[in-house]
Amino acid sequence: MRPQDVRVVERLQPAPDCVELVLEFPQDEEPEPGQFYMLSAGDGRDTYLPRPLSFFRTFSPRRMSFLFRVVGPGTAALGRLRPRDRLQAMGPLGHGFPLPERPLRAALVGGGVGVPPLWSLGRALRQRGCEVIALIGARTRFGLLGQAELQGLGIEVRTATDDGSRGHHGPVTDLLGETGADAVVACGPEPMLRAVQAFAERTRLQDTYLALEAAMACGYGVCLGCAVERKSPDPELGAYGTYARVCREGPVFRWDEVKL
Amino acid sequence: MELATEVAGITFKNPVLTASGTFGYGREAAELYDLSLLGGVMVKGVSREPWSGNPPIRIARAPGGMLNAIGLQNPGLEHFLTVDLPFLRDYDTKVIVNVVDHDEEGFLAVVRGVDGQRGVAAIELNISCPNVADGLLFSQDPDRAAGLVAKVRQATRLPLIVKISPNVTDPVGLGRACAQAGADALSAINTVLGMAIDVERRRPVIANRTGGLSGPAVKPVGLRIVYDLARALDIPVIGMGGIESGRDALEYLMAGARAVAVGTAVFRDPLAPPRIIGELERELEAAGFASVGEAWAAANPDARRRTQDA
Ligand SMILES: Cc1cc2nc3c(=O)[nH]c(=O)nc-3n(C[C@H](O)[C@H](O)[C@H](O)COP(=O)(O)OP(=O)(O)OC[C@H]3O[C@@H](n4cnc5c(N)ncnc54)[C@H](O)[C@@H]3O)c2cc1C
Ligand SMILES: Cc1cc2nc3c(=O)[nH]c(=O)nc-3n(C[C@H](O)[C@H](O)[C@H](O)COP(=O)(O)O)c2cc1C
Ligand code: FES
Repeated sequence: MRPQDVRVVERLQPAPDCVELVLEFPQDEEPEPGQFYMLSAGDGRDTYLPRPLSFFRTFSPRRMSFLFRVVGPGTAALGRLRPRDRLQAMGPLGHGFPLPERPLRAALVGGGVGVPPLWSLGRALRQRGCEVIALIGARTRFGLLGQAELQGLGIEVRTATDDGSRGHHGPVTDLLGETGADAVVACGPEPMLRAVQAFAERTRLQDTYLALEAAMACGYGVCLGCAVERKSPDPELGAYGTYARVCREGPVFRWDEVKL
Repeated sequence: MELATEVAGITFKNPVLTASGTFGYGREAAELYDLSLLGGVMVKGVSREPWSGNPPIRIARAPGGMLNAIGLQNPGLEHFLTVDLPFLRDYDTKVIVNVVDHDEEGFLAVVRGVDGQRGVAAIELNISCPNVADGLLFSQDPDRAAGLVAKVRQATRLPLIVKISPNVTDPVGLGRACAQAGADALSAINTVLGMAIDVERRRPVIANRTGGLSGPAVKPVGLRIVYDLARALDIPVIGMGGIESGRDALEYLMAGARAVAVGTAVFRDPLAPPRIIGELERELEAAGFASVGEAWAAANPDARRRTQDA
């Protein structure tokens, strides 16, 4: 982890309210799937704090992209950046997904802009000989992200939309049962993560991991802003153990580690 | 350039400290730079027992800064003494222990636990946290604050710094009461009580409803309070609130701070403290000061005059 001055090399717009920025780092980066960066852009008016974003695709040791939905001033400022603009990136941060020792059948579940961390994970799993299936959900077909990129890795993609405009009509988690997966990894809105948690509980699929989001100020563990409640806190820590830091202990947790 | 400065009998090699609660106990920043570069470290508030802190959401954005309601999540005194302090002790910097609790007994228990420990330079009494139910209890009434300070004074020989809240009508009156009760120095300011509203969810963004505002947005408030304290009182002040550059630090020194602390700026720029030390050196020179002492209260003639009379 270190703060770095990075440069925008390309700006793509995969959906009307989504931007993919390709950034060039000054040095080789080796982030693990599931890790994230704190990116700063904007003049400080409601953008004083950097914003956490997972990296999406890596193109070379110094080039990777970030895919995000514009939801407020921070993401709007990032979305206004153009090639050659500079910004600060602090990272890589947090703990990523554990990778299996033996090949298995994995299901990756992505809701909306939860897809980015699944691309690098999917690639790592494929390199380890895993069979990977991706389940992508969104409100409408316009919000389905990352499909082509995941297919490009040799991953089968199934889709679901809330309005039925593409794929399964209903929550993406409905598709989990038929995948026959030995491991599940999910990233997306909280209701989706809760459904995945419930699925793991029902099927006792221990190898289920969730990549969480939280409001963050620092991203590197010093502010204690990004609290998530632990399911079974370490008794040694007393009340202090009630909450874990999403940015340090996470953002990836096993399904039974956290209360959502 | 002479960067050393003295506060309450402690000599800091430079006047730049890290503010409490924005630096944990130093472990994370130590992954980025050598903590021995720092004038001092003010650690996250330590209470007698471990505290859970507030439920999320704890953070909201704000123009020129942020709101927080962490609620003083901390591992407690014993963990601090056995795990956190030993880590910090290895660095050549002054460690100031920020102490917090619900009541006098709690404050005294932490102070007694910290007293006499190797590697502790001073105690900072946090009677100004707006994010726990009774956090401002001691600040709202100068007599009550003085009562606490007097008892703590009896319990330790360590230099005693009291952290002043901007959320009171008369910070100088509060500071004076603390000084008379035996405080060796004051630090100011803690965060400014505020709120953010989430339009979609139709409720305050922060679960605790209110939070403390910090960052550049509060710098004018911090400067005003530091100026007033330095002007009216004989004990030194450590200034903080929105410092993100050497220039900001110089402004605080000129207002009457003997040292400064960097808080929220480390979220935007984790390297801000060492960067600010370098910038301050250049700013002092550019402004024609040969030392931190020369810059002290240069914009606060009443404060300078009072020290000359004394
Ligand atoms: C580890 C991690 C990885 C992430 N990866 C991605 C990713 O790959 N792609 C992606 O699109 N997103 C990602 N996110 C989410 C992303 O960080 C947020 O969408 C972003 O921080 C929003 O900032 P903003 O300023 O644009 O919006 P904001 O408006 O600040 O925040 C969004 C929400 O918070 C509320 N809110 C917060 N503060 C205030 C306030 N002061 N006043 C009013 N409302 C407020 C708003 O109602 C809004 O719904 C990730 C988050 C984490 C923690
Ligand atoms: C996330 C956060 C946590 C804080 N925790 C503490 C604390 O534990 N004890 C304390 O005395 N002040 C605490 N503060 C206040 C800061 O030490 C500082 O007084 C204030 O933020 C103003 O400085 P700044 O604008 O540079 O951040 C905290 C501030 C922030 C932003
Ligand atoms: S965001 Fe600061 S501790 Fe996690």
